[in-house]
Amino acid sequence: MSRIGVFVCHCGENISRTIDVERVAAEVGKLPGVALATDYKYMCSDPGQNLLKKAIQEQKLTHVVVAACSPRMHEKTFRKAVESAGLNPFLCEMANIREHCSWVHENREEATAKAIDIVGMMVERVKKNRILPAITVPVTKRSLVIGGGIAGIQAALDIADCGHEVILVEREPSIGGHMAQLSETFPTLDCSQCIMTPKMVDVANHPMIKLYTYSEIELVEGYIGNFQVTIKKNARSVDENKCTGCGVCMAKCPQKKIPNKFDQNIGMRTAIFVPFPQAVPNTPVIDRDNCTMFKTGKCGVCQKVCGPGAVDFEQQDRLVVEAVGAIVVATGFDLYSIAEKPKGSPIKGYGEFGHGKIPDVIDGMTFERLASASGPTGGKILRPSDGREPKQIVFIQCIGSRAREKGISYCSKVCCMYTAKHTMLYHHKVHDGQAYVFFMDARTPGKSYDEFWRRSIEEEEAVYIRGMVSRLYQKGDKIVVMGSDIAVGVQVEIEADMVVLATAVQPQKGADILAQKLGISYDKYHFYSEAHAKLRPVECATAGIYLAGACQGPKDIPETVSQASAAAAKVMTLFSKDQLEREPIVARVRDANCVACFACKKVCPYGAVEEKEIRDRQGNLVKVVAYVNPGVCGGCGTCQATCPSKSVELDGYTDEQIVAMIEAL
Amino acid sequence: MHPEKQKHGFEPKIIAFVCTWCTYAGADLAGTSRMQYPSNVRVLKFPCTGRIDPVFILKAFQQGADGVLVSGCHPGDCHYIAGNFHARRRFAAFRKLLEFIGVDLHRLQFSWVSAAEGGKWVEVVTDLTEKVRAMGPMNEFKELALEEQWSGSINTPELKEAYNQI
Amino acid sequence: MMQVIDTSIHAAVAEAIRREAQRLLSTGEVSAIVGYASARRTGAVQPIVINDADSAAQLVFTSASVNNLAVYLTTAKKEIPKTGKIGIVVKGCDLKALVGLMGEFQLKRENLYLIGVPCVGVLASTVQPAVELTSETIAPKCRECDAHLPTGCDFVPDVALPPMVPLETKYATEIARLEALTPAGRWAYWQEQFAKCIKCYACRQVCPFCFCEQCLCDRNKPQMVETTPRPSGNTAWHIVRAMHLAGRCAGCAECERACPMDIPLNLLNRKMAKELKELFEYEAGLEVNESGPLATFTDKDDQSFIK
Repeated sequence: MSRIGVFVCHCGENISRTIDVERVAAEVGKLPGVALATDYKYMCSDPGQNLLKKAIQEQKLTHVVVAACSPRMHEKTFRKAVESAGLNPFLCEMANIREHCSWVHENREEATAKAIDIVGMMVERVKKNRILPAITVPVTKRSLVIGGGIAGIQAALDIADCGHEVILVEREPSIGGHMAQLSETFPTLDCSQCIMTPKMVDVANHPMIKLYTYSEIELVEGYIGNFQVTIKKNARSVDENKCTGCGVCMAKCPQKKIPNKFDQNIGMRTAIFVPFPQAVPNTPVIDRDNCTMFKTGKCGVCQKVCGPGAVDFEQQDRLVVEAVGAIVVATGFDLYSIAEKPKGSPIKGYGEFGHGKIPDVIDGMTFERLASASGPTGGKILRPSDGREPKQIVFIQCIGSRAREKGISYCSKVCCMYTAKHTMLYHHKVHDGQAYVFFMDARTPGKSYDEFWRRSIEEEEAVYIRGMVSRLYQKGDKIVVMGSDIAVGVQVEIEADMVVLATAVQPQKGADILAQKLGISYDKYHFYSEAHAKLRPVECATAGIYLAGACQGPKDIPETVSQASAAAAKVMTLFSKDQLEREPIVARVRDANCVACFACKKVCPYGAVEEKEIRDRQGNLVKVVAYVNPGVCGGCGTCQATCPSKSVELDGYTDEQIVAMIEAL
Repeated sequence: MHPEKQKHGFEPKIIAFVCTWCTYAGADLAGTSRMQYPSNVRVLKFPCTGRIDPVFILKAFQQGADGVLVSGCHPGDCHYIAGNFHARRRFAAFRKLLEFIGVDLHRLQFSWVSAAEGGKWVEVVTDLTEKVRAMGPMNEFKELALEEQWSGSINTPELKEAYNQI
Repeated sequence: MMQVIDTSIHAAVAEAIRREAQRLLSTGEVSAIVGYASARRTGAVQPIVINDADSAAQLVFTSASVNNLAVYLTTAKKEIPKTGKIGIVVKGCDLKALVGLMGEFQLKRENLYLIGVPCVGVLASTVQPAVELTSETIAPKCRECDAHLPTGCDFVPDVALPPMVPLETKYATEIARLEALTPAGRWAYWQEQFAKCIKCYACRQVCPFCFCEQCLCDRNKPQMVETTPRPSGNTAWHIVRAMHLAGRCAGCAECERACPMDIPLNLLNRKMAKELKELFEYEAGLEVNESGPLATFTDKDDQSFIK
C-alpha cells in the first residue's frame, strides 16, 4: 500500500490568498493511500524542504506530491530533496496550483475546488510512478571529424588541443577543402593559403589527430558515446610510411595533361600527383583511371625513380574500424554546375548561359584559381579559351540561388561578397579593365562587409547593374551579355571577354548517402538539419553527432569557423564526463508483447529504435522485437502513442499514470 | 472590487492534454502574468503531443469531460523535432472518426500554444469553456456508462420477464 | 434491375490453381499452400492448408471463396508452420492485406509464393453459398473493387476477365447518407449498431491486421477500454478498432462478414480510408509502402482544424 505524503504550499500568500490550502490538504487527506496531507508557508525554503525530508523518514512515505508552483520552477528542487531523504526522485510529483490555479482564478471557492482536483489527480498519478534509476552511458573520448576543409580542421584542432584524440577523415588526397582553393578572402583580402596552410600543417603534426585522407566513411554503427565507424581507405598506390614527399615521381610521370580538379580543371597535373604543392599529407596518389601503368600494364616510371620504394601498384582499398564517442560532420559544399543536368534531376541547368559550353563563361571558383598566385596562370586573369587578358568582364550573381523555377529557393549567402571581391581582384590585376556586375540585391550583413562591397563600387570602379541576365551567347571571340537594368529601366547589352557566374552553394555530392549512414536528417537540398534552428544549431537530432560549416547551409569562412569551434565545444562538453547521464524518461519495449511491426521505428525522430533478436538458451531465434536505445531516445513518447498494442512505454509517462489521472477526474 | 461573477447553471468539465515544452509553459506564463480564465480546465501534462494517444481523448469523454483540448508546440517548434507533426496527422484522422460516430467536434479543440503565448492559452481555454457551456453537458458517453444494458435490447415481453427474474 | 454476373472463368481459374499447386508441392518449391476447398454445405467453400501434391486436387475457387486467407499467415495465427516458402491463393483485395503486412514487417515477400486470382466478385455474407452471383447477391466490397486482377504475383491464371458490370456502390452511398445527418443522428445510428455487439471479437480474430500479441483492449493495467459487452465498452472497442485500422485496412471486409450481429464494421473502415485519402492522399494498394499515413507526416499537412 502506498503511503503518500501531500504537501500543500502557501507560497507566502501567492497560493493561500485564493486557495483554501487547509481545505485542500484536508480533502486530499481523505484519498486512499494518502498517509499525510499538510500545508506549509514556503515549501521550497530550507525549513519547508526539511519538513518534507523529515516526514518521509518519520512517516515512512513511499510517494510525495508537492502542491505548489509549476514543476518547471521547482520540480528539480523537490526531487533532489526527496532523493536526499532516501526516496527515488521520480516518486515525487508536483501539483501546479499556483500558475495554473491561484494566479489565474479569483473566485476562492472555484479555485479551491480546482486545486483539490489538481492535487487529487497528481496523487493518483504518483501511485503509479515507478522507481526510475538514472541512466548512464559510457563515453569513448575520441571523436571523428568528417571532412578536412576549414570546418573540419578547426573542429579537429579544437578538440585535439583539449587533449582528446581526433580521427579526421577526408575524401580527397589532401585536406584543405575549398578554402585552400581560394585566392584571397573577404573582407580583408588576405591570402587564403597564407592563413590556411599553417592550420593544415598543425593538423598533420598534432599528436592527437589521426588523419585519413583519400578515405571515406563506409559504415557508422552505435550511438552517442559509443560509435563504431568503418572507414574505407582508398588505395593511394603509394605507401604513406615510406614516401618522403620528394616529388621526383611527379616530375617523371609521362602523363602530364590530366585536368586538375583542384584547379577547376583549367590547370593540368600528372597521373601520380598531389592536388597542390602545399598538400597535407604531401604523399602523392596515383589516379588509376589515367595512369599508363594501370591502363596498359606498362610504364612504372614512378616506381623506378622512387628512392624509398614507396610506389605500390598492388595496394588495395582497406577498411579500418575506429571507436569514437562523438562525430562532427563537416562535409562542406559544392558549387551548382551550369552544365546540363542529368535526366530526373529536380534542378534545371542554365541553358540560356550555354550550359557551360562557352569556354570563357566560368564559375566563381574557377575565377579564384585564375586569381590565385599558385594557380594555373600564376595569378594572371587569362581567358581559358585563348589565354588573353579580358578587358571587359561581367559577373552575374544568383546563378541557381533564389531561383525557385530552377529548383533552388535559398540564398547562397557568400556570392555577393565574393563577387565584390572578384571585381577588386580583377581591378588590381587588370588596371585598364572594366568589371560589370548583374545583381538582384547586394546582401552584405557581416562585420565590415557592406563597407567592402561599397569599396568595390566607389574605389574599385565596378559597375553594378540591378537586373538579371536573360541570355548570353558567343559572338566571334566576345560573349554578348543581354540583360536589363531595372533601376534605369533599359535593356543592356555588353560585349564581354569573360563572364563569371556566381553559382549557388550546394551540399557535397553524396551528402544524402552519408546522412543515411549516420542516421541524421537532411532537407530537400540535402543540407543537414540541425536539431533546433535557433537553440541547437550545431547539434543533429541524432545524439552525439554535430554539424560544422556549409554542410548545414551556405556559410562564409568566419561563420564556418565559429560553428566548427561550437561543435568542438559540444564534443568537449560530452567528453567532460566519463559517463553520460541522462534523465531516465525513455521509452522501453515489453518484449513479450512486441510483434515487431516497427511502427515505433517509423515515427521515432531520433532513430532510437533498433531491431533486437530474442534467442533461447540454445541460441535459436525466438523472435525479433523492437529495442529502444536509451542513449539515443529523446523521450517524446510518439512511439507509444503509435504502437497499436502499447508494447513500448515511456517511463514517467506510462499509460497507467495517465489513465489514473484521467480517471481521477 | 471585482464585478460580480455571473452564476452559471452548468459548469462544464474541460480536460486539456498539453505538451510540457510549449503549451504547459504558455499556461505557466498566463499564471505569472496573472491573466484570468475560467477555472473549468484540468491540465494533463505530456512530454509532447506526439505522446497523446487518441484513446486518452475517448477516455476523457467517458470519464465525464464535456470538452477536450489538445495543445502543443507550433509546427517546427517541437522540442522532439517532429512529435507534433505526427500528432497533427493522428488527430486529423481521429476527429474525423469521432465526427462520424456522432461526437460533436465543437467539444474537441486542438491548438498550438507556444511558451510565449499566455494570452492565446487564456483565449483558447475561455473560448472552449464558453462554447461547451453553451452546448450543455456532453451526455452521450455519460449515458452509455450508466446504461446497464445487455447486448440487444430487451424489447419483448418474454425477455423482459426473464430479465426481471434474474 | 437484377443483373447476373458472369462467373464462367471460375472453372478455368480453379483448374489453373490446382495445376500450379500440384507443381509447387511436387517440386518442393513451397512447403504448404493456403487455399480454398469445398465445405460440407452445398456450394460452401472453406480455407484449407495443404502440404502434399496429392491434396492439390482439393483446391477450388468459386464465388463462395470469400475468406481473406492472409490472416492465416500472421503471427497471431499459429496454425501454419513458418518454415519454408508458403503458397497462398489471393484475390486482389486479399493481396492488399498481404502487402500491408509486408509494409509492417509481418511477412517477407521472398517467403511467399503468391497465386493471384482474377476475380469477378464473391458472394455477400448474407446469402447462401450456393446462390448465383448477381448484382443483388454480390458482397458490398466487390461493388467498389478496383483490384479484380491482382498484380505483382508469382502466378496468375491466364484467364481473361469478362467485362465488369458497373454496380451501384453501397459503402460510399451509406457514408454519404450518414455524413449528411446531424451528430446526434449519427450517434443514434451507431449506438443502435454498437448495442448489438456481443464482444465476441470475431472481427478481431478474422482481421489480418489484428496481429498484436496482446490487444490494447485486453489490457487491464491500465484498462484502456472497457471489456464488457455494455454499450460504453462496445462503443470504445469499435472506435479503437477503427482508429487502429485507419491507414492500414485495405477493405477485405472480413470483419463485417464474420460479425454475427451484422454490425456494418467495414463502413467505419471505409470512412477512415476515405478521410485518409482526402487528407493525405493515401490509399492502401498493391504496392508495399514504407510507412502508412499515420506513421509519417509532411510539414504541409492539413491543420485547418487547429487553432
